Amino acid sequence: MFRVPLLIALTLIIAFGGGILSSLSALNASVGFGAIRIGVWSAFPAAQTAEADPYAKAHRAKAGRLLYGSAEGLTFTASADDAGQRLTGTCTYRLSGRTPTARLWTLYAADGDGLPLVASADLPTSLNSQTVLRQHDGTFSVTISPTAKAGNWLALPDTGAFSLVLTLLDTPAAGSTGLIGLDMPGIETLGCGNE
Amino acid sequence: MSRLLYAVITGVFGAVLLHIIIILGIPHFTGKDAYTRVVAEGAPFVFHRLEVKPDTTGLSSLDPYMRVAVCHFDISRQPLSLVALGSGSFWSISLYDKDSNEVFSMNDRTSVAGDVDVLLATPVQIAQLRKTPIPALAQTILVEHRGTTGYAVLRSMVAQPSFEAEAREFLAEAECLPFTGR
Repeated sequence: MFRVPLLIALTLIIAFGGGILSSLSALNASVGFGAIRIGVWSAFPAAQTAEADPYAKAHRAKAGRLLYGSAEGLTFTASADDAGQRLTGTCTYRLSGRTPTARLWTLYAADGDGLPLVASADLPTSLNSQTVLRQHDGTFSVTISPTAKAGNWLALPDTGAFSLVLTLLDTPAAGSTGLIGLDMPGIETLGCGNE
Repeated sequence: MSRLLYAVITGVFGAVLLHIIIILGIPHFTGKDAYTRVVAEGAPFVFHRLEVKPDTTGLSSLDPYMRVAVCHFDISRQPLSLVALGSGSFWSISLYDKDSNEVFSMNDRTSVAGDVDVLLATPVQIAQLRKTPIPALAQTILVEHRGTTGYAVLRSMVAQPSFEAEAREFLAEAECLPFTGR
């Protein structure tokens, strides 16, 4: 007697539940298609344009950020080390190598919402291409750690999972997707806890 | 049993349809997209400085080395004139329509003489300007905007604390005004 209403209810539950949950998870999982990935880093050079895919547009409208225009810069984010482990605030990492061609770059650690992490006003929680110390060949090495380190040190506050944000300013990389052959710095885990 | 299967298949089809509708619809009614937030910053035709911490509208300058100002506009009556004297350090400007699609962007190296001098106009206004050129606009970069509303984002880099005052002055003196002739 109740079979037909039951079947209709089942259909509606699958349709609405599945539709809403899949949309939410798709928006939380990714910024859209069209990412360029170099090692652990990913960037979305077309996310701010009219050509962005519907997922990128939906994500952009939901996040409400001021994105970089193609002549301004390109933002790369990494939330895992070279071994694929998530970056966490209790570990020490070494970021080393070189960036693709760019006039300037900035580096900071960000929380889950993409906001910069602030340890203390006196600690170096960000670096840029003008303040970083380099080796003879132009490469650089940054130690990302909650405790003070010699050389380039990016201070981490007391935090859980975080991501690294490397913004290339005025870079030809933003105008093309032919980035695949270029280098981005690697992220190597040096140790966790009090090691 | 087959009716149950039909119900499940219909449900899955409905879910796919709803997924597509939600993804396509979200940009139109989130109420917290970038344009809505910029409009909530305050009056049009004024650059509003953003802070490092998100303000009540949820906008912030994000990058610790960037000082950012935003301005929203409506060019249906008059073109928009964006003017600022270059500070010597890196600056960039980008213009977006009301759907946050990039219309135009440039930085200090791609500008004329290192200064911001951009005129944003609708195709009709551009045609009028071409017909009767204004000498004062000879060096100005003319940008065509198919819509009428949108926002501009002006950024200045503070690579070291000593650049701070310069960047503040650059953003404070930047103009985002309706063009009424020069």
